[in-house]
Amino acid sequence: MSTRPPTLREKRRYLLVRIEPAGAFIDQKDLYYAVSEATTSLWGDVVAAVIMTAVVASDGQYVIIRCQRGTEQDLSIALSTITKCCDIRIALRMVSASGTIESLREKIRKIPTPSLELRSSCECMFDKKSFQTSQCNGQKIDVIEKGFKNTNRLFLTREDLEEL
Amino acid sequence: MKITDACVYPYPYGDSSARRMALEAKALGFDRLVADGTQPGEYYGIEILSGILIRDTSVRDLTGRIKRERNNEAVVSVQAGDNGFNRSVINNKGVHILRGLHSADKYAFDHVAAKMAADNRVAIDLDLSPFISGRGFTRQRAMHRYRDILVLERRYEFPLTISSHARSILEMRAVREITGLCSVVGMDVPDVEKAFVGVDIITTPPDPSVKVI
Repeated sequence: MSTRPPTLREKRRYLLVRIEPAGAFIDQKDLYYAVSEATTSLWGDVVAAVIMTAVVASDGQYVIIRCQRGTEQDLSIALSTITKCCDIRIALRMVSASGTIESLREKIRKIPTPSLELRSSCECMFDKKSFQTSQCNGQKIDVIEKGFKNTNRLFLTREDLEEL
Repeated sequence: MKITDACVYPYPYGDSSARRMALEAKALGFDRLVADGTQPGEYYGIEILSGILIRDTSVRDLTGRIKRERNNEAVVSVQAGDNGFNRSVINNKGVHILRGLHSADKYAFDHVAAKMAADNRVAIDLDLSPFISGRGFTRQRAMHRYRDILVLERRYEFPLTISSHARSILEMRAVREITGLCSVVGMDVPDVEKAFVGVDIITTPPDPSVKVI
């Protein structure tokens, strides 16, 4: 089968999305299933078939998601209903939309990389409990309570820790 | 007029501190948060209003509780119940927001309650958490209730507020995303903008009908 001429091809758009929290490693395929489930759940099979979503690339914290041109708004609404992927709590923040993957890759390169310090050994106190630092990024600090039972992540700021 | 998320739950109810939620809200395009169980303040340019949610209580206990909270300058909201309870709540001076109508009885909020809400300047809250994290029947029911509330709002013009009920920064959504989610129930951009500033309407005293010059 020969390739269609450009005027007959389906027009596509690409969304640049940031995965939060920082440091959450999500497999591209798992993310596709989460996006697909969210789209189908919100809009139904008919609209999901029109949107034709696909996770085409990932670069650390950023992923590029493909859709049909004109359905970006529907897809971004569906993306805002994603709260979990493989039992990992995440949020997808839309950064930008474009007609080519390359321009989004260029955009990722231009985004200043935050000084992401991974200091797992750093200990701190909050609310009279002992925590281990998981991620630090400017004012933001993510901590995990020390111990075996409660390993939930808390989202704090430097000031929260300095107060004590 | 400040763009406000009318209900978030910082630590200890959630997993994010009030400061971190303020930092996130700034990035997401908000100017103000109503945070339950938190002292009022301003962090990173975001105003935090203290919120009080009263739930599972009788009308008599509610009146006493509101009298006690009246001097706190907190945004007082009450969890919706049946129709009679909701009418009593709306008539009660000191209540700012009626919440949780998406999970209340089908006839919990009717045209009489809508008229009373408009007269007493009590806002009806549109909780977006069933849209964000709910699936299937839960979300469908919330959509249906909100469509019904919007029909009454267009007729009687009572204030609306929008809240994410986020217990974590991961549950907070950007202004643009919330506008998109609200479009699902037929709210256009001016409607959403009006609902975002609903907290301003309920916290500022009304203009007197007669001005003494």
